[in-house]
Formats: sequence, C-alpha cells, structure tokens
Amino acid sequence: MILKPLFWLFKKELKSAYRSKWLMFGFIVGPLIAWGFQGVFLAYMFGQATSGGQTVYYTNDDVGPIGGELINAIEGNATYLGIGELIEINATYGQKLVADGSVGIWIYIPANFTQMLVSYNTTVLKIYVDTASTKATSVAKAIEYFSKNYIDIVIRELKVEEIPVSKEATYGFQLAIFLVMLMSVVAPAPYVSQSFAGERERRTLEALLVVPMSRLKILTGKVLAGLVLTGVYAIFTIVGIELYNGMIYLALGDLGSYASYFTVSESIMPLIAFSQMLVALCALGIGVVISCLAKDQASAESINNLALMIPTMAIGILSFTGSIESIGGIFGFMIAAIPFTHAVLFLNGVLLHTASVYQLLFNIAYLVVSTLVFLVIGAKIFEREGIVS
Amino acid sequence: MVASLSTTAIETENLTKIFRKGKKNETIAIQDINLKIAAGQVFGLLGPNGAGKTTLIRVLTGLLKPTSGSAKVLGYDILYEIEKIRPRIALLPQESGVYEYLTARENLIYFGGLYGIPTDVLEERADKLLKQVGLEDRADDITKSFSGGMKRKVLVARALITDPDIIFLDEPTTGIDTIGAKTIRELLKELSANHNRTIILTTHDLHEVSELCREVAILNKGRIVGIGTPDDLEEQFKAKNLEEVFVSLVRGE
Repeated sequence: MILKPLFWLFKKELKSAYRSKWLMFGFIVGPLIAWGFQGVFLAYMFGQATSGGQTVYYTNDDVGPIGGELINAIEGNATYLGIGELIEINATYGQKLVADGSVGIWIYIPANFTQMLVSYNTTVLKIYVDTASTKATSVAKAIEYFSKNYIDIVIRELKVEEIPVSKEATYGFQLAIFLVMLMSVVAPAPYVSQSFAGERERRTLEALLVVPMSRLKILTGKVLAGLVLTGVYAIFTIVGIELYNGMIYLALGDLGSYASYFTVSESIMPLIAFSQMLVALCALGIGVVISCLAKDQASAESINNLALMIPTMAIGILSFTGSIESIGGIFGFMIAAIPFTHAVLFLNGVLLHTASVYQLLFNIAYLVVSTLVFLVIGAKIFEREGIVS
Repeated sequence: MVASLSTTAIETENLTKIFRKGKKNETIAIQDINLKIAAGQVFGLLGPNGAGKTTLIRVLTGLLKPTSGSAKVLGYDILYEIEKIRPRIALLPQESGVYEYLTARENLIYFGGLYGIPTDVLEERADKLLKQVGLEDRADDITKSFSGGMKRKVLVARALITDPDIIFLDEPTTGIDTIGAKTIRELLKELSANHNRTIILTTHDLHEVSELCREVAILNKGRIVGIGTPDDLEEQFKAKNLEEVFVSLVRGE
C-alpha cells in the first residue's frame, strides 16, 4: 500500500520517457554513437593505412648492426605494416623534407643506436611523422609498435627489459573514453530537466505535491525511473562496444593480430557499462539539483549541459596530454574532486589494465558517494516551498 | 469520509503569508485572513490579479507554510496534520498542464493511483468523469494533441478522480468554450448539492460566481475586503450586481 503510489509515479515517469522519443534517444543512441564513432574513426585510420601503402623514408646512420637489422625487419614486414615504398635517404635530405613539410614518415636511426642498446639497454629511434595524415600517423604507430617488439626480442636475448604499455592502445582508448564520457554525462539531461523543471514549467508539480506522498517519495520515484533509464544506457553501452569491436575486426582484416590492442575484451564490458551507468546516475543527481533551481525546462537543460560538459571536456582534454593523476597543486585537487575524473581513471584502469582492484573500487566508491551527495542536496531543494512559487 | 453540512470545512485565523527575498525585500501576499467555510458549499474567492487568491489556496493545501496565523482544513491543522488533510483534498492549480505523453484516461488513473485507490475503482471513475466532461471519445488519445480547453476539462476530471471532500479549483473554466464551461459548472453544482463536496473556486467570471457560489470572499492586496453571500454583498454595498460590488471594493482601496 505504501509502495503502490510510488510504483504509479515510477511507471508514469517511464511511460512518459518511452513515449517521448527524443528523450529515449539519448539513452539508446548516445552510447551507440560514442562507441560507433570511435569504431568508424579507427577503422578509417586502419583503412587509410592498409590501402595503397605509405611511402616511408629512412636514414640509417648506425655504426653498429642493430639499426640495419631493424630496417631489414621493417622491409620484410612492409605489407603487414602498411608500407608502400621504403626509400633510403641521407640525413641532410631527410632534414630538408622535414623542413619542407613534404614527408609522410621519415625514420632516423642515429649513429649510436646499437652502442646505446648494448651499453645501456636503451636507445632512441626517431620517427618524423606528418600527423595531419591519418594514414601516415597510423603506419608510424604500427612501425613504432613493431620496432619496440623487435628491439625487445633483441634485449631479452641479452638482458631483460619490458616494453612499456602500447601507445596505440592508449591513443585509441583515450578518444573512446573522451567521447563515451561526454555522452554519459549529457544523456540524462533531457529526462531530468523534463521530470523536474518541466513539471514546474507546465505547472503539473503543484497538483503532484498536494497528493498524499512525501516529497522525498516523489523524488525517489523519479530517481528510480532515472535509474532504470541509466540501466538502459548501460545495456546499450555494451551493444555500442560490440559494434566498436566489430568495426575494428572488419577494418583490420588480415591484420587481425593487432585487434587485441584496440578492441575491448568481453570480460571488462560489464565493468565499463557499470561505470557508465554510475556516471549517468551521478549526472542525474547533479541534474536534479540544477532542475530544482532552474525556472524552466530549457534553462535547466542548458545549465545542466554546461555544468556537466565543461568539466568533462576539461578532464578529457587533460587526459590526452598525459595522466590526470599526475596533475598537482590546487588545480590537480580540483580535477580530482570532479566525480567524472574517477570515471575516466576507472575506464583507463580497466581498459589498459594499469589500475589495482583497490584503485578501481575507490573510483567507484567516489562516484557512488558523489551521486548520493547530489541526490541529498536535490532532495533538500525539492523540500523547499520555493519549488512551487 | 464526507464532512456533514453542519461542520466547518475550512477555518482560518489571521492567516498571513509574507514572501521574503533577502532582509529588506518582502511582499505581503495575504494578511490576516479570517474565514469560516461550511462544508458542502461552493465558496468563491474573487479578486484582481495578484490579490492573493492563489497564495491562499497554496497555504490551505500545504504547499506554502503560513508566516503567521493558523488554519484548519477538515478539522486538521495545516501545519501539523497535513498528512491527514492531503488524502481528502484535490487541487486544480491555475494554468496547470496535463501530462502530455499520457492519454486522458491515464492522466486520471495516474493521479488516483498516487492516492492509493484500487485500479478497478479508478477505471470506473475515470470513464464516468470523462463522459461527464464530454471527453469519452478522446479518452485514449495522448493529451499532447488536445486543445487548451480539452486539457482543462481533463484537469477538472483529474481533480475529481479521488472523490475528495474539498476541491480547490483555481480558475477551472479559463480557456474553455461556453458549452464546456457550462458542463463543468453543472458538474460542480451537482457535486456540491448532491454529494456534499466543498468547492473552493477562484475565478474572474462573476457570472460563474453568481451561478455557483453560496458565499464569496473578495480579496484585494492580500486582505479580505468583503465577504458574504452575493445577495448580502449587493445589499451591503447598495449595488445592482456582484460586478458593481467587486469594482467598488477593489477601486475603493
């Protein structure tokens, strides 16, 4: 009996959301767009890299043997790496091509390449790449990855040294994280704006607040409906990831061995979906606060999008430039205080296998606590009589 | 439970509501309102825009807390016993909208559901009410496509779905065509006369007041400036009709 009115409210919220096609759009199409776009982008890059082949210049000034061996290995795997022609040039000509901006890729092997490797187990291979060309960028990444693998084998024969985390994977996933995060924070905005500010604007809220239900129960009913919608979002996140994986496999074709560096394994899909559901729920909590303060639905939606997108974009851009955990000072503290930072860290952690279980649990706990804090603040504002006047 | 004719539905004593914005900026919305409304009648609240009619209704329905004074609705204090009042009242706010993604019938049943009324009872009541307001043919249409007048009819029916003892109607016939408004007036008359419901009605239509209300209170600038039956007021102010009473009271301030 006590729960029956709550159930009616919950059912009505879901029914209204279902019938408002644009409202459901964000929850269903949002994750598909985010992951699909990422898939299309990488597939395009692979397509560029594998069709026709990229002309690659190289200069081998190494006085030792390993530089030459590496070039031979690259030449032997030219098709696999997406290389069309491999042309030897001298360093002066290479510098001129770089200065002219007329080179796609120029590999420069310095004179002390072998010596550094033998003496210190570390050396430098310079790859000049025209980053404006997706084809050149992609082939350069492939060469970089291949070279690291090749040198690693040599080192392991001499001394043990692990190759660092694949840059390709980081690069690819960073973009996915950025897009996915943006979609996750904006997806609940239309629902929450309609459900709270919309009720005020249409003046349906007054009659609702007179029914024999506490305001907390009314809020709970609306948030529970939002929880179901974020659950829908999580399910379609998994569909989106499958779509993304499919695109990568299709684009790589014969180069399928590369796929594991770009695709998302099935074992971590539920974790990603869960984290995105939490992000959407946290965005919903923030949305409740904003919508209870905004005068109308349009203002609520605009402020909501701004308030959520600006920090998310800042985190996304910062994460492209390196680890957001390494940012120090007050700015670093502010970034760490944003709930969505922890979602990015969680995604990085599970996608790149770089976080411990405790770190991941902390990130999740931070998101959950933030969501609860925002919902409590929202409930307090919802209790004010100013909500109707 | 229905209040009998002899009982008082609403009683207020020096009811005052002041809105404060900051320390210096304050607006007196209603001041020293003293009312005693008998159960089972249609009571009219008249006044120009901004007179305090809507604020008074909001205070009586528990949406706003009074700044001072007290009020009892169905014998219960609005400040401390609102949970006992809420199941027995209904409100049709001014300029209120419907849930546009629900059908007319769903709008009614949803609201009844929030009061914990069984679905089969609600379905029966919804059919009856929609027929009474002339919307039986559109009962299962999404209300987004309805005209303003049709939406208002849905709202009147929605206010009645819970069979409340007191119904607060803030300008219920605004935007409804002549025939529709007449239908609603007949419905309200029938509820008051045969079902002993108390109806608190605000309107700018003085003809409606004359037709429906046993008693009226005229508000101006948050205060009651005249109260009584329409005939008493006409006699008291030596006016030909209620319109003259209204104009002289509001302009005379």
